[in-house]
Amino acid sequence: MQSPIETVFDEAENRYLKTEELRSLGQYVVSLPERVSIYRILRDQELTLMQQVADQLQIQQPDAHPDRIERSLKHGILILRYCAMGMLLADEGFVQSRLLNWLSGVVQIHNTQAIDTATSALTIQVLSKALAPKQMALLEPFFALSQNTLSQTAPENHLTVAGIF
Amino acid sequence: MISVADLLMSDRLPANYYAHEVYVRGDLEMGLLESRRGDRLLALPQTLVQAMYTGLTKETGQASKLVLFNCGRWWGKNFYNRFQEELADYYDTPLSEMAMADFLQSLKQCWITYGWGKMDLDQSYHHRGFLVVQTWNSPFANQAPQTGLPVCFLEAGILAVFLGSYRAKNCTAFRRVVSQQMPTATDL
Repeated sequence: MQSPIETVFDEAENRYLKTEELRSLGQYVVSLPERVSIYRILRDQELTLMQQVADQLQIQQPDAHPDRIERSLKHGILILRYCAMGMLLADEGFVQSRLLNWLSGVVQIHNTQAIDTATSALTIQVLSKALAPKQMALLEPFFALSQNTLSQTAPENHLTVAGIF
Repeated sequence: MISVADLLMSDRLPANYYAHEVYVRGDLEMGLLESRRGDRLLALPQTLVQAMYTGLTKETGQASKLVLFNCGRWWGKNFYNRFQEELADYYDTPLSEMAMADFLQSLKQCWITYGWGKMDLDQSYHHRGFLVVQTWNSPFANQAPQTGLPVCFLEAGILAVFLGSYRAKNCTAFRRVVSQQMPTATDL
């Protein structure tokens, strides 16, 4: 896997970069300070932000078993961490290949799609308050990608411990 | 109330251990391939896999399938031990106490990262005592002699021992081939 930025450097021996490639590289460089500052906010405030999500999730889902809520929060934290890194690298493939391909299977086995969707929506809500709209715009595509991927997992082939043993 | 800080194990949250970008490392100039723990990995060239089939068929004839199955059992035993060590280290918990979902997802991802194709477990025949393991894009099946007879004996051996070790019970496996899909049924 290579980030779109990395692929720009692949053909140094053949040609110079085209104007539009230089422009997209320039756009990435210009957006980098903003990306780093969002990353710093997420890094420093992860616990506070996710605690807010946890509190609201428990109010929203009073009937859900605490284990399911904890599991879903763990998924939420992983998504946040990977989205933060993906946003820093401007690389959706990073989130997809390192986390989502794996996480979608975990979600499927645990059958937590519904509660994960709620966690994800709450995370976005909490983040929108902590970040400026301009910052949120950089982060949002990554959350949209995770939401899309995880909501597509169908629980049809639901494996259980009893099923295996 | 749930505390998010308690969910993190010393600030980390185990995820996809076998993500191939992270798992496979190496020093190309030294000709080395290593896992993320520093264990040596072995690359099997296509020629070697083909030669394995040709050589075995020539040397052992019909018994080659049995030989492959037994090689798989040996391989599976070591694979299980290594898998167990790696996951126990990473999740900081013995394999026996690990969540089933984490175990299964790790196995599936490991299968992909080792280049053995994609695998899926189907428990539809659980009531009859079968766990069906399907694999796709297996390099061992792709290179096998195209005789229309069952293949995947090596993997069947690996899986029989692997799943048997996990359950601490012997299991046998049989296999058949349907077009490009290579289901392996593991009788538990």
